[in-house]
Amino acid sequence: MKTLNEIPRENPFKVPENYFEEANRRIIASTAGIANKVVKTGLYRRLRPYLLAAASVALLAVLSYTAAKIFIPGTRKPGIPELSVEEFSSSYIDDIDIRTLENSTDPAALSDEIPAISKPEIIDYLLLENIDLNDIYELL
Amino acid sequence: MVFTDQDKYIIQLLKTDVNKGFRLVVEKYSKKLYWHIRRLVILHEDADDALQNTFINAWKNIGEFRNESALYTWLYVIATNEALALINKRKRNASVSLNDIGSYLAYSIEGSTWFDGDEAQVKLRNAILKLPDKQRIVFNLKYFDEMTYEDMSKVLKTSEGALKASYHHAVKKIKNFLGGN
Repeated sequence: MKTLNEIPRENPFKVPENYFEEANRRIIASTAGIANKVVKTGLYRRLRPYLLAAASVALLAVLSYTAAKIFIPGTRKPGIPELSVEEFSSSYIDDIDIRTLENSTDPAALSDEIPAISKPEIIDYLLLENIDLNDIYELL
Repeated sequence: MVFTDQDKYIIQLLKTDVNKGFRLVVEKYSKKLYWHIRRLVILHEDADDALQNTFINAWKNIGEFRNESALYTWLYVIATNEALALINKRKRNASVSLNDIGSYLAYSIEGSTWFDGDEAQVKLRNAILKLPDKQRIVFNLKYFDEMTYEDMSKVLKTSEGALKASYHHAVKKIKNFLGGN
């Protein structure tokens, strides 16, 4: 039996004589009575690119103003105490009940056992993650 | 896929004279789309039906065609969906299990008046029919239509990496089948 490379790529399927000319005529005739969704170039459509550009500029202005209010010193409202990162972290952790944390944690997630997964399952998973097949074979 | 000058002309004509523009679309792409569909559905009569439905759908939605994709890939998306719809309909009507549809289509090749291949080509077609539907489309588009992975990615809405992997697997399976494994 021939290998894939030895089998010519020529088309073994056939069509009736003059099929394509006749099919084209039928297709054109069949679409003649069907309404299509024609694009209307109304005022909104023509102005849309400019409206989008204006909206982008306005958004940028709002974001810049907000960023300036937050990060530039002297623009913050008085009366809000400032906490360092260390103070914030320790106060947060102290409030956590460690027993509640343990009870709410799934034991399976803490298990040291590694579930058995076959090589084909690993390959399928990696393919779904769009990993290049050549890379997979190199690793295996 | 680079926009050809003719495609640019057709797209422009579709905006100014949709009937004339669509006629050019049919004349330019009917043959290519027919063979793409035929390789999937096998029977000429089914391919003819799917081709007609493809262009009817294209006509109905011609106003929604945007220049973001090439005319060619847009039409291939519609044609592929029509072919898959026909295959699924055949599965339901024939009460064939999903795994047996390949054998069912292979039987269609051997009994068909419109197939003129030698033993090796019959075996190749049978090997291709054993692939899952989506993988068969990938193989056909790459092997017979020589479509780039970039264009295929737009047609099948799948990443190029996954398509390359799928094609590589398909070639391996077909070679094994032809080798008698």
